[in-house]
Amino acid sequence: MKKWIVLILAAIFITLAFAPAAFAESAPPADFKIGSFTAVDAASHTATFVPSETGVPTTVAIDESINPADVKLDDKAMVSFSSTDGAEAATEITPMFLGLTRDKLIALLIVGLIGGLLSGFIGSGGAFVLTPAMMSLGAPGAVAVASNMCHKFPKAMVGTYKRFRYGQVDVKLGLVLAVSSIVGVQVGFQIQKWILDSWGSAGSDLYVSFVFVIILLVVGLFVFKDAMTMSKGDVKAKTPKLALRLQKIKIPPMIHFKKADVVISVWVTLPVGFFTGLLAATIAVGGFVGVPGMVYVIGATAMVASATELLIAFVMGMWGSVQWAMAGLVDVRLVLIILATSLVGVQLGALGTTYVKDYTIKLVMGTVMVIVAVSRGVKIPVYLDHLGIVSLDKSLAGALDALSFWTLIAALLTAGGIISAAMIKGIVRARVEEKEAAAAGSA
Amino acid sequence: MSKTAKKKPYLRALLLGALSAASYFYLFTHVNLVMEYFVKGGWYAALPILTALYFSVVHGSFASTILSIAGLQAAKGTGH
Repeated sequence: MKKWIVLILAAIFITLAFAPAAFAESAPPADFKIGSFTAVDAASHTATFVPSETGVPTTVAIDESINPADVKLDDKAMVSFSSTDGAEAATEITPMFLGLTRDKLIALLIVGLIGGLLSGFIGSGGAFVLTPAMMSLGAPGAVAVASNMCHKFPKAMVGTYKRFRYGQVDVKLGLVLAVSSIVGVQVGFQIQKWILDSWGSAGSDLYVSFVFVIILLVVGLFVFKDAMTMSKGDVKAKTPKLALRLQKIKIPPMIHFKKADVVISVWVTLPVGFFTGLLAATIAVGGFVGVPGMVYVIGATAMVASATELLIAFVMGMWGSVQWAMAGLVDVRLVLIILATSLVGVQLGALGTTYVKDYTIKLVMGTVMVIVAVSRGVKIPVYLDHLGIVSLDKSLAGALDALSFWTLIAALLTAGGIISAAMIKGIVRARVEEKEAAAAGSA
Repeated sequence: MSKTAKKKPYLRALLLGALSAASYFYLFTHVNLVMEYFVKGGWYAALPILTALYFSVVHGSFASTILSIAGLQAAKGTGH
């Protein structure tokens, strides 16, 4: 066992060393500078810019498209430069850090709590709503992605620790899948880049939504149906047929995953990790493939799979965070505000798994996947409009955007509701049983 | 109550809570300084990463203690 873990850890480090762009979600953008403007000269369309990296004030030209009066002084901004006319000019200035009002603070705390609950329970989640939530509060996309990731890995670490103590994490399985998922992230990232170069950001959005809707609907409905079948009869978690068939393939090296209670060829695990990484790089929620993959392909229970997914999220998230932090994009205020409640949520979710049956985890997972798929599907006409394939009324596009965001919130609330109800029911039942046992003992 | 019930860890919660609150207070009262250095990139990336880890340990332990004071423990029969 120990030999295997050392071997797998070595593989992870080697893969990471040769994979500088291996991070979940997309790569940090490269064509910008972080800094602040200290003076603006409207007449000459120039400004004094102090890059954070060097701290040396330099005079830069401001593109004609930007009104010098709109340039805010002394605030950190992400500035894109382009040198199309021979001289380099600032073409885009995005304020980096949103002003925190009381309402924004409360919104972040609530989303953090329920997101944490969800990831403690099903191994992933929260991320799909936190990034859009931060963006809708005014954070630039890159800062939202970076801050989300930097909050995700410590949360996953705490969740992994808790569920490891409950005896649910298969460390070996998590590490094996982390190695292949890093490769998946690389490939996913290259596909994204190719699509972005060929069809621009609307094309990329359309591709991402398409993958989102198809995979989440198919896998989500399957998981949901399985959970419903299991909940009707008093069926104990059975190993799925596909996993049983795959376990019969004896191509060495065979690995014994003790906690998952599975002996399977390493070659079967590779595609599961690969697609987890591919999905993580594409739609930011690798767990929506990782957990069903571990259950239906490898043959682990949903309990072990969701716990092990937290370990994968920690490894991947930590590496991703390093990359984004090196680009200087993490807003640590957002990270810490979300952590304030998500660290409570993740432990509560982890605790909740000890009171429920395997199918409850599947039920929550299937439900969230289907609602998230709908949320993304709603936005497809908007991207088709951007690509000029259909023409959409502006107010309708705005309404679809809002509908998509609120559907995500609905997914989070529904999941939070199911988890809380199942947990309360489980705790009450356990206490009643305890009392009855005590009464029987003293009688 | 069962005989094995432990004393509730009030002192631990108080200490961890104070440490967590003080850390949050310190960071948010020095937010300009923090934001200056944390976004420099390169090796400065260690700052946000280590801060996130530090808070997850301190605040995470605090949250864990609060949950156990609230009587929210894992179901019996789990854990090792």
